[in-house]
Amino acid sequence: MTIAVAIKDLEWKYENTTQFALRKVNLEISENTFLGIVGANEQGKTTLVSCIKGLIPHSFNGVYRGSVEVFGQAVKETSGLHLAREVGLVFADPEAQFTAMTVEEELVFGLENVGYDINKIRERLEWAAEVTQIGNLLDKSPYDISGGQKQRVAIACVLAMDPRIVIMDEPTSMIDPLGKQFIFDILRKLKEEGNRTIIVVEHNIEQLAPLSDQLALIHEGQIVKVAPPDEFFADPQSLIAQGVYPPEVAIFAGWLHSQGYLPDASPIPRDLAEAVAAAQTALKMGSG
Amino acid sequence: MMAALIEISRLDYVYLDGTPALFDVNVTIGEQEFIAFIGQNGSGKTTFSKCLNGLLRPTNGSVTVDGIDTRSKGVIKQLVTKVGYVFQNPDHQLFNDSVEREIAYGPRNIGLPESEVKARVQEAAAVAGVGPDHFATHPFFLTKGLRQRVAIASILALKPRTIIVDEPTTGQDMPQSIEVMNFLQRLWKEEGHTIIIITHEMSIVARYAQRVIALGQGRVLLDGPTREVFSRPDILKQTFVEPPQITRLGQALNPPLPRDVLTVEEMQIAFKGALKQH
Repeated sequence: MTIAVAIKDLEWKYENTTQFALRKVNLEISENTFLGIVGANEQGKTTLVSCIKGLIPHSFNGVYRGSVEVFGQAVKETSGLHLAREVGLVFADPEAQFTAMTVEEELVFGLENVGYDINKIRERLEWAAEVTQIGNLLDKSPYDISGGQKQRVAIACVLAMDPRIVIMDEPTSMIDPLGKQFIFDILRKLKEEGNRTIIVVEHNIEQLAPLSDQLALIHEGQIVKVAPPDEFFADPQSLIAQGVYPPEVAIFAGWLHSQGYLPDASPIPRDLAEAVAAAQTALKMGSG
Repeated sequence: MMAALIEISRLDYVYLDGTPALFDVNVTIGEQEFIAFIGQNGSGKTTFSKCLNGLLRPTNGSVTVDGIDTRSKGVIKQLVTKVGYVFQNPDHQLFNDSVEREIAYGPRNIGLPESEVKARVQEAAAVAGVGPDHFATHPFFLTKGLRQRVAIASILALKPRTIIVDEPTTGQDMPQSIEVMNFLQRLWKEEGHTIIIITHEMSIVARYAQRVIALGQGRVLLDGPTREVFSRPDILKQTFVEPPQITRLGQALNPPLPRDVLTVEEMQIAFKGALKQH
């Protein structure tokens, strides 16, 4: 399988700080897989995705050691324009990236910048608007729509560029539940299309876990755990100690295991449906 | 029945541009309650909470705070000492150039003597956990958690019985959320305040709120103990709210599991109980 992102012994210290924000980070992300990144605030999550996007070291000063490769190319040596096509990044605050008067202009801006012809631009625009369900917003000002709609526009702008790697950094942290659901629906669609590597930093593990092929935990600038969700949640107490709360059903299933109500080999549920099945098994085992 | 702090009777609210936001709301808020307002954006939560301290005045019906009708003239200064409102983003509220002046602003503004202002600042800062070493600091140089505490301290300095906190945990991670919620719990339990939170985080509601008011399309859909409100997923659905995941697990397997567990710990006890019945 092709490796989309290869991070080797990466260390980064921002200028004018005393501690390294990232320390000896090693991570491989396979092409067209979905990686969820979790961890408490200020542990290095945004710094890590900034290194994959190339914002670090190209737009920040600091000390850089080790390497990040995107499809075999060292990010440190690669031009911003090239990376813009390979890696798209959506921030928590969508307004940070708006510059145009209408949503449509906002979408077209990036496409024109990389020199697509008019037919290609139209095709990308239509697809991105469809996936993010913003067709009815195209002639509005990006400042004149709800927070959830702004985030969908920000995602559409990134998707329109057709990056092979899409990164979203806490895409739902500033929006209401209905808006959050839209974002997770977009992520589900992208995953089902299966032709993109997706990296999502998110506090909402309950929604993130069922989508993730792998989950990574960042703590104090290090990746302390990478595993598929069921393995990742196997020791809920150690996760809680590192500031990350597994989904409630995963904590409950961990307890069922510890009490001997579930077979040792059965996986920890990632979502409610799996938890219902596990609890049914446990009820049978417990009363049998 | 506890003494009523705020009486809301047949409240309608229509914004100046003609947008209706609240319809026939009837709610009584008592001493030392811990209440969560829930519902999708646009459901009327924020409009409702702004009606409770006179920031908005009823279009029809009435809101009475400690016997004062919020429609009366010249009552705002009294109301701010009875119902405090902490904005979602502390940066929308903090505007002084030092923590001390920020906390002193409210008491000074209602015309308290300077000696009383000083005492109020000391007390509010202590309760909110803002150390005197921060007093000279510009609020913007503090962490988000501390800025939120300064925002709460500046409200506490007015000694309101009721404190409304708009989305106390939005954008925070779990340890930070627990810290702020434990703090609000202390204000409720130990200091005797009535706390109202406006939130989308149902696991937080399940853990901390004693009473839940669910709003949808400007109406009160449900008003009752947290456990009862979360056992009505059919109605909550109307305002795009789902009970906590562990509650939904019980509801999916009822019986033998109960429909109204609020936490994982409760589910563990309920599970053992279900096994015994077999």
